[in-house]
Amino acid sequence: MNLDMLVGLLPEHLLLAGILVLLVTELATRHAVSPLPVALLAVAAAMAAALGLAGEGYTAMPFPEQFVMDPGRAVAKAVLLGLALPVLLLAGEARADGRFAMLLLSSLYGACLVVSAGNLVTLFLGLELLSLPVYALMVVGSRRPESAEAALKYLVLGGAGSATLLFGISLTLGATGSLSMTAFTGAAAGPEPLAMAAVTLVLAALMLKAALVPFHGWAPDAYAGTGVPVTAYMATVIKGAVLLALVGVFEGARLAPALVGLTATLALASAVWGNLAAMGQRGLRRMIAYSSIAHAGFLFFVLLGEPAGRLEAVVFYVLVYGLANLLAFACLPSRGDEGTRDHLDRLRGLYRSRPAAAILLAVAMLSLAGVPPLPGFVAKFFIFKNVVEAGYTAWAVAGLLASYLGLFFYLRVIRIMFMEEPAATKGDTRGGVLAGVAGVVCVAAVAAVTLFPGWLLARL
Amino acid sequence: MLNWVLFLPLLGALGLTVVPAHRNDLTRGLTLAVMGVQFVLAAWLYGQFQAATGALQFETRIPWIPQWGVYYHVGLDGLNLLLVLLTAFLGPLVVAGAFSAITTGVRLFYAMVLVLQFAMVGTFLAQDLFLFYVFWEAMLIPMFLIIGIWGGERRLYATFKFVLYTAFGSILMLAAVIYIAYTVYTATGVPSFAIADLYRGGWSLEVQSLLLAAFALSFAVKVPMVPLHTWLPDAHVEAPTAGSVILAGVLLKMGTYGFLKLGLPMFPEAALLFRPVLMTLAVVSIIYGALLALVQEDIKKIVAYSSISHLGYVMLGLVSYDLMGIQGGIIQMVSHGLISGGLFLMVGMIYERCHSRDLAHYGGLARLLPGYAVFFMLLTLASVGLPSTSGFTGEFLALLGAFNAGWAELPHATWPLALAATAVLGVVLGALYMLRLAGRLLFGPARAPHLPLAGLSRREGAILTALVAAIFLIGLAPGPMLEKTEASALEIQSILNAARPAGGTP
Repeated sequence: MNLDMLVGLLPEHLLLAGILVLLVTELATRHAVSPLPVALLAVAAAMAAALGLAGEGYTAMPFPEQFVMDPGRAVAKAVLLGLALPVLLLAGEARADGRFAMLLLSSLYGACLVVSAGNLVTLFLGLELLSLPVYALMVVGSRRPESAEAALKYLVLGGAGSATLLFGISLTLGATGSLSMTAFTGAAAGPEPLAMAAVTLVLAALMLKAALVPFHGWAPDAYAGTGVPVTAYMATVIKGAVLLALVGVFEGARLAPALVGLTATLALASAVWGNLAAMGQRGLRRMIAYSSIAHAGFLFFVLLGEPAGRLEAVVFYVLVYGLANLLAFACLPSRGDEGTRDHLDRLRGLYRSRPAAAILLAVAMLSLAGVPPLPGFVAKFFIFKNVVEAGYTAWAVAGLLASYLGLFFYLRVIRIMFMEEPAATKGDTRGGVLAGVAGVVCVAAVAAVTLFPGWLLARL
Repeated sequence: MLNWVLFLPLLGALGLTVVPAHRNDLTRGLTLAVMGVQFVLAAWLYGQFQAATGALQFETRIPWIPQWGVYYHVGLDGLNLLLVLLTAFLGPLVVAGAFSAITTGVRLFYAMVLVLQFAMVGTFLAQDLFLFYVFWEAMLIPMFLIIGIWGGERRLYATFKFVLYTAFGSILMLAAVIYIAYTVYTATGVPSFAIADLYRGGWSLEVQSLLLAAFALSFAVKVPMVPLHTWLPDAHVEAPTAGSVILAGVLLKMGTYGFLKLGLPMFPEAALLFRPVLMTLAVVSIIYGALLALVQEDIKKIVAYSSISHLGYVMLGLVSYDLMGIQGGIIQMVSHGLISGGLFLMVGMIYERCHSRDLAHYGGLARLLPGYAVFFMLLTLASVGLPSTSGFTGEFLALLGAFNAGWAELPHATWPLALAATAVLGVVLGALYMLRLAGRLLFGPARAPHLPLAGLSRREGAILTALVAAIFLIGLAPGPMLEKTEASALEIQSILNAARPAGGTP
């Protein structure tokens, strides 16, 4: 028995232990027990383990060519696990049961696997484990018919994405005779048609999973059709894991010139379309869905950059973007009908009734818009700095102009909260205690990243 | 000490969060105290400032994102000294001026004013391009809220127009900033955003032109220069008085300061190429702004358009490349901040009493409000450029600089002199529109939409007295201020002139 199998997979083992404990409690008790403490403890322990491994500079391959662990990946895992903590708090606010927690932890296991994948099959397994529980999460505990519709849409399109990915992987095997990431990146650089087809298919599959234009159609319905905690999870952890998978498969390789135009065009189209479509949305979740389409576009620009800085840029961006999203979700009124509680109409004049929530939500919006000094700006700066350094200045300018389009709808939310009178029948806009804790955790993290971005960047 | 000047307003804004929401008097008092202390500190720094050197003083340099060469780097030099002093001087006046006008959301309002003050002082002090950009953009959001929450009827339209105009300029500037950082890194191997390093960028003329175009767009929107000025009247008219005063008093100077500190000296060759365009636009702004001010019926709009005209002189002085012109530009920035700030405050005072800004509703205020009329007349004369007021010092030096440069270039080109001569026309137009305003407002048959009018309160009197005193101080004794700005202005001038072909003008 190799010690690396214990140490290198420590975060995963802790998650697994959490799932088992939850399963046993669920079986052993008759009364509903809140799964929150166990789930929070497991995720926090896994995050601490990942940070510990990163701090030690631990580098190993517990399963050669299959599972890779190094400090960069450890930090990436810690970020994804850390983002899951506020999600769990939001779920606790929504009185999620043991099934919810188990599914969420399983999905997180998949996210960790994706980050550590050293081989295309491991990557595929990780992505499946990441998304399969979410199909179930979307309908667990929800009585809205839209949830089933949303889950089905996500399932069918997610399945199509998986099939595309598998097709790409099999073509890679055919072209190179290997399933390793290095074989894939080697193929990505070469001009061979079969290999190019394989790379394009893998790229397209990841674009679908990340909801990039023109593969974005599922995102708004899926985000709006499910409960707020699941939306928050999909918009942050899942999106982050898919983008980290993207960085993983192209690790160390510059994008083939033939693919630069395609990737950049689609990334730009996403950024533009996401930002334009978000302007007219009435619900915050739908708006965040379009905003996440735009952000996926910005994140895909990272492929244009030099390979060396990609992981750092994506991890930083995912952290900052995820924190802002979670902060926004934590500030929503926590009562009322699940389908309409995020409607922007209900946020009208929020500053009057809940000044703190309105200010935090405004901070979240401004960070998403990339307005300095909030960390969203540094994240965007990082991505486009890499793009410029790789010599694609024109694409960087176009991408930045696309980000300008987003300013309008983020400011629109602020306008609704601060500059409009509260609606006559606004209902109960109070927030919950756990959601408040989640908000405070997020805003503390945002403040820390705002003040000390250099400290964080040095540790990526 | 300089850091205290910078961070005091931010600490004040944080302090306001613990003040109970209904204690409006406490909120106002605390804000005024913070601003007052800031001004005292800034004035003390002004006194300690050594005139003999162009180097940075009271410098602080702490790594912020060391991997990218980004430093928290602030310092005073001759270029920003007076502007920081102006900002700190206007701060308490703005706060005191809003005591009676802002009655809802008081805590948020003063918090935003303090955050804005922090961002403005930071923009002037920043000696690192990244830091400058952060502060530059950070000014946007408090202003967005100030106009959007406490503004007039069309406040939403005005505030979105303001933000979307300025943000469009800044996003291109951001692209330029990223490109600059990258080229400096590849050229020297050391990542750096220090502005002093960027003066020696060594880009080709084509690249310089593109970069300057990006910066100039951003700055020209802020100044604003015709034809990018259309956000200004809307923003000014809809903004609450305090917003207008900050906007006219300080925010507009960001644009001209940006040209002086960054745009021109970072890209001197391209600046030489752009100079005719900038000079022409400056003169067009002077004349066109004045003509627009001449036909307005809304008192606030007259003052707003006069800002476009007066900032044209600043630009004219800066691009003259003459020492007098550059220093005149700086003095004119300060002077305009005081005069237009004062005029907006006075418009706000009459609006508070009568709830109308329509010039046709007023007349003969000299009889109704004698104290008000005296101050209004003084500010009008300062705005017209009466000798012994700051308006005269600024405009005269800027024009003198433009003429000096024009004469010197006469053997090669006649256009600089022709433009300078045209700009003088603006002084005449300025007298026309300001005297039209004062004449119709203060003299003639006495009428106002709301009678009887309360006289100036002690608070209002104190604010106006302070402003008028400062205006006369600059007008009568500009010597010390010119001395303190000279060394830095000379440095900028030598950078600009180094780009000129040999055998050209001196």
